Amino acid sequence: MQSIVFALAGLTLVYFLALNLLYLVFTLIAWRDVTRHLRRRRFEPADEVFASPLTPGVSVLLPAYNEEVGVVDAVRSLLALRYPMHEVIVVNDGSKDGTLAVLQEAFDLVPVRKALRQTIPTRAVRAAYVSRSHRNLWVVDKENGGKADALNAALSAARHPYVCAVDGDSLIEEDALLRVALPVLENPGTTVATGGMVRIANGCRVQGGRVLEVRLPRNHLARLQVVEYFRAFFMGRTGWSRLNSLFIISGAFGLFDRSVVEAVGGWWTDTAGDDLEIVVRIQRRLREQGEEFRIEFVPDPVCWTEAPEDLKTLARQRSRWQRAVGETLWRHRGAIGNPRLGIFGVVALPYVLIFEFLGPVIELAGYVSVPVFASLGLLSTRFLIAFLTVALLLGTLLSIAALALEEFSFRRHERGRDAAVLIAYSLLENFGFRQLQNIWRLRAYWDLARGKKQWGEQRRKGFGGPPPEAPLPPA
Amino acid sequence: MLQLLAVAAFVLASSSAVFLAVLVGRRVSLASREVERAELRARLIPVALELVDGEGVPSGKLSRREEEALADALGELSKLVRGDARARIAGFFAGSASLRHQLAALSSRRSWKRATAASRLGDMGSPTARPALRDALRDPERDVRAAAARSLGLVGDAESAGEIVEQLADGRLPRGLAAHALLQIGPAALPRLRELTGHPDEHVRAVVLKLLGHAGDSSDAARAEQALVDPAAGVRAAAAEALGRIGTAASARRLRVALGDRIGFVAAAAAEALGQLVDREAGPALAALARGGGYDVARAAAQALGRIDPDGLRRTAALDGAGPHLSEAADLLALDA
Repeated sequence: MQSIVFALAGLTLVYFLALNLLYLVFTLIAWRDVTRHLRRRRFEPADEVFASPLTPGVSVLLPAYNEEVGVVDAVRSLLALRYPMHEVIVVNDGSKDGTLAVLQEAFDLVPVRKALRQTIPTRAVRAAYVSRSHRNLWVVDKENGGKADALNAALSAARHPYVCAVDGDSLIEEDALLRVALPVLENPGTTVATGGMVRIANGCRVQGGRVLEVRLPRNHLARLQVVEYFRAFFMGRTGWSRLNSLFIISGAFGLFDRSVVEAVGGWWTDTAGDDLEIVVRIQRRLREQGEEFRIEFVPDPVCWTEAPEDLKTLARQRSRWQRAVGETLWRHRGAIGNPRLGIFGVVALPYVLIFEFLGPVIELAGYVSVPVFASLGLLSTRFLIAFLTVALLLGTLLSIAALALEEFSFRRHERGRDAAVLIAYSLLENFGFRQLQNIWRLRAYWDLARGKKQWGEQRRKGFGGPPPEAPLPPA
Repeated sequence: MLQLLAVAAFVLASSSAVFLAVLVGRRVSLASREVERAELRARLIPVALELVDGEGVPSGKLSRREEEALADALGELSKLVRGDARARIAGFFAGSASLRHQLAALSSRRSWKRATAASRLGDMGSPTARPALRDALRDPERDVRAAAARSLGLVGDAESAGEIVEQLADGRLPRGLAAHALLQIGPAALPRLRELTGHPDEHVRAVVLKLLGHAGDSSDAARAEQALVDPAAGVRAAAAEALGRIGTAASARRLRVALGDRIGFVAAAAAEALGQLVDREAGPALAALARGGGYDVARAAAQALGRIDPDGLRRTAALDGAGPHLSEAADLLALDA
């Protein structure tokens, strides 16, 4: 019995040490890279890129399913993007609500017999529309086939060499497309995809698709997610990007070389996590072909998204994300630990397997077994308390480091009170929220076992706020 | 083990406390600095605007902070203005402490400081900075060279055109940025660009042709016409693109031949160029391509046909088997009507 206890305790300790060591390294990388990025902004040629007639165009792809509450704001924010040449392609993926109707009313849509590439098969397209007031806005109405299918349909309608995939419940900041495109424009042919920072819009003052004032959400769950997003994006994405082993670009905001997406067969429709899977597939394909390429995370182009504010929706979202990890790992199981794929195969994918996919099992096993063993007198109570204290302090330090990085870099939460509240929540998340997430993620194993594919209903409140007083200039 | 954990807990708690203290300290210092900066800005923006409008120069001696704030405001404004207004900004900075400070920063050991200085000197627009910026073009760091090229483009420094073209050619500068700088320099860059149409690197030939399309004139059309038979498809497409802007009647004849190029994007570029040149003779060939070509070619051909012969497009689109591209182009044309 004692040897089992020691083995379990040892496993928990190794897991804990390895994970936190990685996070600490990524924290240091993030501080270095974000600082470097900020310095670079002082001489970054964004204005020149904007003015250059040689800057290639971007097609912004927006899949929409039952998004009547927020889609008009989302489209407005996309039309207002500061980029020399871009089109917006909204795909109404067989919505059951009034998504198409609100778009028709807001943007004066006219039916057009749109020619589609159809290099990637999708569910049937029913009709296509162009906006009379904004000639760079297209709406494709199709039968429901899921988000990935909608993205593939949008890809089929895209005419520019780069595509930017965004979510219907997201708002993209005015200069975000230009900023996310800069690495691609500076290294054309080498940088094949980039992703930007996703922040939580709940609580912010939004008008006409623009975030006018950054505020914290009133809802506790949403506040916890603000801290979580800081950590995930600043630490995780920056670190993996540095190692050129980024395995995900958020579906809310990611730029891709269209030819690369087409070459790998578009977004995979048979998963709940198309954004994760496509990046893993691109990484795998280009590494197998021996291509020199980069996939980068850029920390300052911002996409604002609506976070779930009730436990049921959040649980569904987290379970879906976990299911996506499982589906992607299963599809690319041959790549895990494959030395031919470099750091991506040997470090990144095993990390996803052990810490992202198996993490909930290991953590919950620790939560259950350690007190049991302690109550049986097999573990020293003093050791247990000391270990839990260290774990709690380490988790808090990592969250505070992420908040501090935000404070020293972009400082979007201008009110001092907001920073204090976020620090408090970085401590609070260790008591309950973290454990709840593990339980939600465990549910995904059951969903995977029974082959669940649906996304599930998403409850949206929308961003609110009337359209701006001055209409957007026609394109 | 317990001792180790106790030490770890102490270190982590201390680090968190330090982070928190730094965060609070920063908030407090930023708050006072921002108030001061906002006040300075509010006071100096009207001064900067008056200076740019030529309505006066700042009276009295400015403190170092005021001078820095005014320099920042003028630097921002300089990106938005041209001609006399820009010359006045350059005049203000000539011999100023800000200019001397940025010139000195060009020799900094840190590359980001050199790059920032190179960029600021471009915003200042002072002619005295040009030699230093030309030196910065040969900096070992790509970011510094890029910032210098951008600034030399901004000040329209003809002497640096050759060096920028060379660096564009061998990839020492980002192509898009270098191309933009050359476009800003304008006609002075053309002689060297023309020489490079025969460069061994196909990517360089392609960029050069695109630039000639934007900055050149009809005398460059012959070069672009010759490039329509270049072995590299990217060069042929760039040549067609350039001819859409600077082409002549003779160019249209060559472009009609290029419609049959076996590479789709070359034929698409030729179709687009014929649309820009409004070449009526290309109508039948474009209609055929719009019906039966690959996606990009058919799309470009249908759009070009709409520019050349709207009535012909409507008639062709109404025929059986017209195909989706002609239908789309006709629908879009109806929207314009």
